Amino acid sequence: MIEDLALDGKAVVITGGSHGIGRAIALACASAGAGIVIAARGQERIDATVATIREAGGRAIGLATDVTDRAQVEALVEGCVREYGKIDAMFAHAGGSAGGLNSDKPFWEFPDEAYEAAILGNLTSSFYTCRAAARAMVAQGTGGSIVVTATAGALRASQRWSYGTAKGGVTAMTKMLSGRLGPQGIRCNCLIPGMIWTNEDPTEQERAVSDQRGVFTPAGRVGVPADFGALGVYLASDASSYVTGQQFLVDGGMVNGGVAPPFYKPHHEI
Amino acid sequence: MPLERRFSLAGKKTMVIGAETPAGGAIARAYAEAGADVALCALTADDAVMRARAVKRDIEAMGRKATEYVMDVTLGKNVQVTTRQIAKELGGLDAVASAPDLFLAKPIGKTTDMELARVLAMNFSSQFFVVRTAAEEFRRAGRPGRIVLVSSILHERGMMDVAAYSAAHGAVAGLVRAAGHELAHENITVNAIALGWMDWMDDRLSPGDENAGRARRFPMLHRLGRAEDVGPLALLLSGEASAPYITGQVLAVDGGVTQHQ
Repeated sequence: MIEDLALDGKAVVITGGSHGIGRAIALACASAGAGIVIAARGQERIDATVATIREAGGRAIGLATDVTDRAQVEALVEGCVREYGKIDAMFAHAGGSAGGLNSDKPFWEFPDEAYEAAILGNLTSSFYTCRAAARAMVAQGTGGSIVVTATAGALRASQRWSYGTAKGGVTAMTKMLSGRLGPQGIRCNCLIPGMIWTNEDPTEQERAVSDQRGVFTPAGRVGVPADFGALGVYLASDASSYVTGQQFLVDGGMVNGGVAPPFYKPHHEI
Repeated sequence: MPLERRFSLAGKKTMVIGAETPAGGAIARAYAEAGADVALCALTADDAVMRARAVKRDIEAMGRKATEYVMDVTLGKNVQVTTRQIAKELGGLDAVASAPDLFLAKPIGKTTDMELARVLAMNFSSQFFVVRTAAEEFRRAGRPGRIVLVSSILHERGMMDVAAYSAAHGAVAGLVRAAGHELAHENITVNAIALGWMDWMDDRLSPGDENAGRARRFPMLHRLGRAEDVGPLALLLSGEASAPYITGQVLAVDGGVTQHQ
């Protein structure tokens, strides 16, 4: 069984792979034996992650990629095939809500630009990434694994009007892909992070904030990127070859609760 | 179709189990308001009967017929026999709503076998008996039937010390989906209304508890649910014309608390 989890000889691409959750998945897949392609926008962080993997004896290349640009995404997949001869797994992890996407305006005054930027940076980019990966997987005839990252925030009401809507679209997309790409041997699953702290070197104050937020999850802590490593390996490996269309929540039980404070205990005997 | 006819239960024979509960009472009143005769079943032969009688008086004031019974929903045979009697006395049966509720707050490690059995019997097995018996009556008459089970949002959510209760309602949700499927070809619909935090739920939201006070603020609509919030959805799901194509659904009346994060 455990040998099914080995990624020896597999080629794995991670967009948004130079930082946080994406980086943790990249490091875990590399240590499981996969050849890695780190895709991100910033060359410096790409180089640092690639170096970390190589220093640990793993194989990795970095390709600076803006996932909102279709041509760059297609070049990314081609780059993986050129380096490793194929692509076995694509983690369409890049996305985010930074850079003015979270306008604090009420919904009825929410600006078009903020809406369009979130859709482009999260939904359209994931669509481009999945499509390019699927095309290559179909062409090579072996199928593969596609994993798209959404967010627990999109499963419930929040004020992230555009980001939440885009990520909701992402979860819908994974269901469609899983339903239609099965015959081609491609499985598609959705990774759903809860409250995750990706800051690796937090200040005292940031740590206090994270501790405070952690109280609001049943697990009693916020998540960290390392919480995703094993799941990433599993989803990239043959061990998950019959698993498709699923949402993998990594949230310390947060979404499962939500109807009362996690520490609240009612009192009632019968 | 005019609005009144679309939601009409005129001439319909209905039964509400747990009519003494706030949700059951609200559903019974809604049925009567829409023109139905209503058989009211109290779950226990104590002051529950008096509370059911208050519902009966309201219904009679609307000019509808109401009768009262006591039904031990933990016994399948009692559900069957009482329902048979009601169908005979009403002259038919078109819709059944069932709202038993027994809450228990205990850690898993402290929940006894007996407590688990009681919670499952009152919250889940009872609903199974209701579906089985109601379907039998509808089948006997060869007519469409509507079954509405009152459940809890805890069927899909966890919190501290509610494992037995939550599991029982999870079972109700499974029952609704499977029964909705199995009985659909007989024109019998089965749906559930999952209640959120309602204003009578002092048993689970102790007024003196500061954290319960926080939970009370979780619904998106910033208030607890009221009995009258339940009636309209039950009516929608119970009419012959109003929702013939809705079945196997668990619909929340929770002010959006399950959208809270």
